[in-house]
Amino acid sequence: MSRVGLWRMVTGAVLAVLTAVYLFPFYWMVVTALKPLPEFYRFPPTLLPLDATVAAFRSVMLQRGFLVLLRNSLAACLAAVGAALVVAMLIAYPVTRLPVSPAFRRGLLNWILSLRFLPPIVVVIPFFDIVRRLGLYDSLGALVLLYTVFSLPFATWMLRGFLLEVPMEIEEAALVDGATRWYAFFVVLLPQLAPALLATAVITFALAWSEFMFAFILTATPRSQTFPIGVASLVTQFEIIWNEMAAVGTIAAVVPILLLVFARRYVIGALTFGAVREKA
Amino acid sequence: MALLAALVVYPLLYNVGLSLRNYRTGEFVGLHNFARALEDPQFFASLRATGVYVSAALATELTLGLALALLVHRTIHSGWARALVYVLFLIPMVTPPVAAGVIARLIYTPTYGILNVLLLRLGAISSDVLWLSEPATAMFAVLSVDVWQWMPFVFLVCFAGLQAVPADTVEAARVDGADGWRLFWHIEFPYLQSLLLLVLVFRFTDTFRVFDHVQVLTAGGPGATTEFLSLYLYRVAFKFFNLSYAAALSLFVLLVTSLAFAVLGRYLVREVSA
Repeated sequence: MSRVGLWRMVTGAVLAVLTAVYLFPFYWMVVTALKPLPEFYRFPPTLLPLDATVAAFRSVMLQRGFLVLLRNSLAACLAAVGAALVVAMLIAYPVTRLPVSPAFRRGLLNWILSLRFLPPIVVVIPFFDIVRRLGLYDSLGALVLLYTVFSLPFATWMLRGFLLEVPMEIEEAALVDGATRWYAFFVVLLPQLAPALLATAVITFALAWSEFMFAFILTATPRSQTFPIGVASLVTQFEIIWNEMAAVGTIAAVVPILLLVFARRYVIGALTFGAVREKA
Repeated sequence: MALLAALVVYPLLYNVGLSLRNYRTGEFVGLHNFARALEDPQFFASLRATGVYVSAALATELTLGLALALLVHRTIHSGWARALVYVLFLIPMVTPPVAAGVIARLIYTPTYGILNVLLLRLGAISSDVLWLSEPATAMFAVLSVDVWQWMPFVFLVCFAGLQAVPADTVEAARVDGADGWRLFWHIEFPYLQSLLLLVLVFRFTDTFRVFDHVQVLTAGGPGATTEFLSLYLYRVAFKFFNLSYAAALSLFVLLVTSLAFAVLGRYLVREVSA
């Protein structure tokens, strides 16, 4: 075998092992979720569940009230996605399509980007007090508001990137033909942007879905607690029911992973604000 | 738009106002809260812990991420295999930090945790290691979660950057006899430089404000060895309910992030909005 061929094989094997090791922790959570509790305590631990069961999933969803938390999370995330898309479009459209001064455009975009770097703990202290005074403590409304604001950097920059890629001529042609700006936007531009909107929605959803600190501090009861808060409460309990903890962890992780697989092409560009375009 | 600005500017002004008062009595106390921070050993302890965390996480993630990017770039050539590696390594990154905390709990727990079982079997340890209750190993444990989740981000950016290096430049260098290391250093690294800076900005600000998985995994313990700034601020504000003092501390956190953003971010913004 040639030296190059051998080198290839060795590095390939290293890479395969590396990937396996890297994904093992995730695999371990899923497997634990599928084990009945007595099997968890077996020594040595089993690599594959001997007696795979979804009992832990059923138990947390039905008996521990995670169904309500799931509903809360879905409601808050979907509302935030809707609001963020509208607001982000209201910012992204003017800066790419309307004649605004370059200084204004740069200022606005940079300010939006700087939101991405704002530490949440700095914001949550005043928000805690404001939300309490408004009587919004322990309500989903406060979370939706915060999720909307904090998903704007991603949403705006993504939409801007996509808008820059749609040729202006298509809209201009419509405008020349006597269409109004509204018509050009809704009927001509929006359908072109459909994949972009979908991708932006996916990212925004995944971000809100993973959020922990705001929900941790601004909610108190299952009325408005989100799924990650429920997960954390199971993990920090004095006596952990291991397979149930793994089950809620799995559900929390699987949602964004499915979305990632579904919108892979766009997610990769977006995670770096489009600074990197996927070529694969 | 005005509403949006209000949502961000108002809390900041509010923080300033809060930090100058005594939260309970509402009395104006001037810079008292800031003076207090200078004499607060726990504040400095959390600052030091954050420093350790940020530098260790950044160094490890940048080194491993770049190494992995190079490995994949040199080894895997087929399109679908590259896409597969991409998605596989992205899985930790989109896993919610809370779920990552669950995973870490399963791995580091004494007796039943898979790590201790493995190490015992291999004969590397003779009795259970209490990963989460010893200062050094607890720091290691919270760091490992960060590295697991975010090394893929560095990998992703560097890998894409490597693919953007023009093939004929690489070819010419090879013909001139550049070997692996020189090829990287003289040809590929210059292309990666600005991307690495971008990664640095993102990772710095993200690790500096770390909260989620630490809260789940160690809640700052043992003692206060993993009580990073965000966790300490959380304790001051929501356990001791001293919102004024927490607001003063939060302004300090904001100052550091803003400085980092001003120094590194200036370049980043130019890069991104170009």
